[in-house]
Amino acid sequence: MKKKLRDFIFHELVFVAEPDQFSDDDDLLEAGLDSMGIMRLIMFIENEYGVTLPDTEIEPDNVQSFNALAHWILRHQNG
Amino acid sequence: MTIKKEDILERLNPADSFTLAMDEEIRRDGLAGSYGCFALELDKTPDIAVLQGRIAEFSLRFPVAQASLQQIGRRFYWCRRNDPPRLFFQHHCPGNQNEADFQQHTIDRIINHKQLRETTAPIEFHLLTGPAKHIFFTRWLHPFCDARGADLILKYLCIADEAQRRQFGLPESGPLVLEQLAKYRWWQKIALLLKGKRYIAKLDSLESIQPFPGKPAPQRLNYSIQRLSEADTGQVVKLARKQAGLTGTSLYYIGCLMRALDKMAVDSQGDAYCAPYAFNLRKQRALTPMTGNHLCALFAQAPRDIVQNRQKLFDHLKQQNAQVIRQQLDYAFLPLMWAGSWLSLAEYGKTLRQAFGSGKERSSFWFSDVGRVDIPENSFPGAEITGVFHVCQVTSPPALAFLSCIHRNRLTLSYNFVEPVSNPAQIEKLQQLMLAELLEETE
Repeated sequence: MKKKLRDFIFHELVFVAEPDQFSDDDDLLEAGLDSMGIMRLIMFIENEYGVTLPDTEIEPDNVQSFNALAHWILRHQNG
Repeated sequence: MTIKKEDILERLNPADSFTLAMDEEIRRDGLAGSYGCFALELDKTPDIAVLQGRIAEFSLRFPVAQASLQQIGRRFYWCRRNDPPRLFFQHHCPGNQNEADFQQHTIDRIINHKQLRETTAPIEFHLLTGPAKHIFFTRWLHPFCDARGADLILKYLCIADEAQRRQFGLPESGPLVLEQLAKYRWWQKIALLLKGKRYIAKLDSLESIQPFPGKPAPQRLNYSIQRLSEADTGQVVKLARKQAGLTGTSLYYIGCLMRALDKMAVDSQGDAYCAPYAFNLRKQRALTPMTGNHLCALFAQAPRDIVQNRQKLFDHLKQQNAQVIRQQLDYAFLPLMWAGSWLSLAEYGKTLRQAFGSGKERSSFWFSDVGRVDIPENSFPGAEITGVFHVCQVTSPPALAFLSCIHRNRLTLSYNFVEPVSNPAQIEKLQQLMLAELLEETE
């Protein structure tokens, strides 16, 4: 899951000089993920994983890192 | 001018053509043209020799910076000139003149300088100096680059290390509009185009409110800057998060401006406020492409009765934005821009501005949120950047372009207005209303 998220974010949304050096805990918002990017990311996740992520949960804690994103998705996949 | 094939540097991409059509519209309205400007306020006179050297290097690496825009058949091209224009200018405040007046007058002259599109330099750098105030003012003609490109150019000028400067513009890529369009098969492009047309037709079913409905002939662009304190900016960011969510800081500014305009111009006619805004196709933090436009347009629209209810307004704008992205309406403008680039400038401009059916102006105001300005501290050659603001030309109507950015934790709002359609007294009133909206001091 994280690999797909990494591919999408680094390919479509944010430029990182050395993606391999970017850990799953590094801050995506600091790296430049902006509001438009977050919306696109959510659309990607919803299509890819068949989950609906509520607007009320779009907050830094859920989108800050790859680990946070994966937890957020899993919570909805299992729920 | 006869153009030889070897003199052609670049053809305008569909997003460049989109901005060129607006340049034509601005000129038809009697104003100077579609100029965008970044102003960096400096604490002292910078290192002029270094600055000049980097500008010269930049123009060598990106020769389109000194090109001339030429029409060949139906298309427009950047072409090499025999006499490259000067790109760097210095303006010094005379001892007997008030410095603030000098700066305002000099910027006024730069942004209102009428020149033929073919002769104007694609980009110019102006250094305004005085005993206490210094501004590095960059003015570009819109088909040359977009605001993100201008930001990259300024960052380029700020990098001391030559090897690091060489990273800018690499890897060289084609226009991102075309790259994105290439992801669709031809029937998908047609479906997107029809989707985009239907979306615009739906927007046009509501007549856009014009906050400055008077008919005096436009004469010149003026601007006014409103800078919030760090504490107020913190409060605005908090409220924007609360009202419009993590994904909607720009929507918060748009909503607040709609409400402020509605309070300022209570008698204005129309059904809804409609604001076009561009989103950039570059990846965040990417250092390429430097030149050209790589953007697509979106609209925020809200009927007047919704604008008058703060909570309903932000819910509406947020939902509208989410729907646009869910339905891929954002990319639906790409094939429209591609198709538009084959029209004459006059036809294209009319299509972009006028509502289907009524023929009235679609935009109530223009909007652009530059976001956080992240030029590194201590990077400008020989001086510290103490403030940043933006200026841009706009058609009339709507005669108002609103630009925002945050620098050093201070929100800076730039109100660009066309005189005498609007005037400084109206803008001052608008600024007071806007501040109250931003700080939620209205209800």
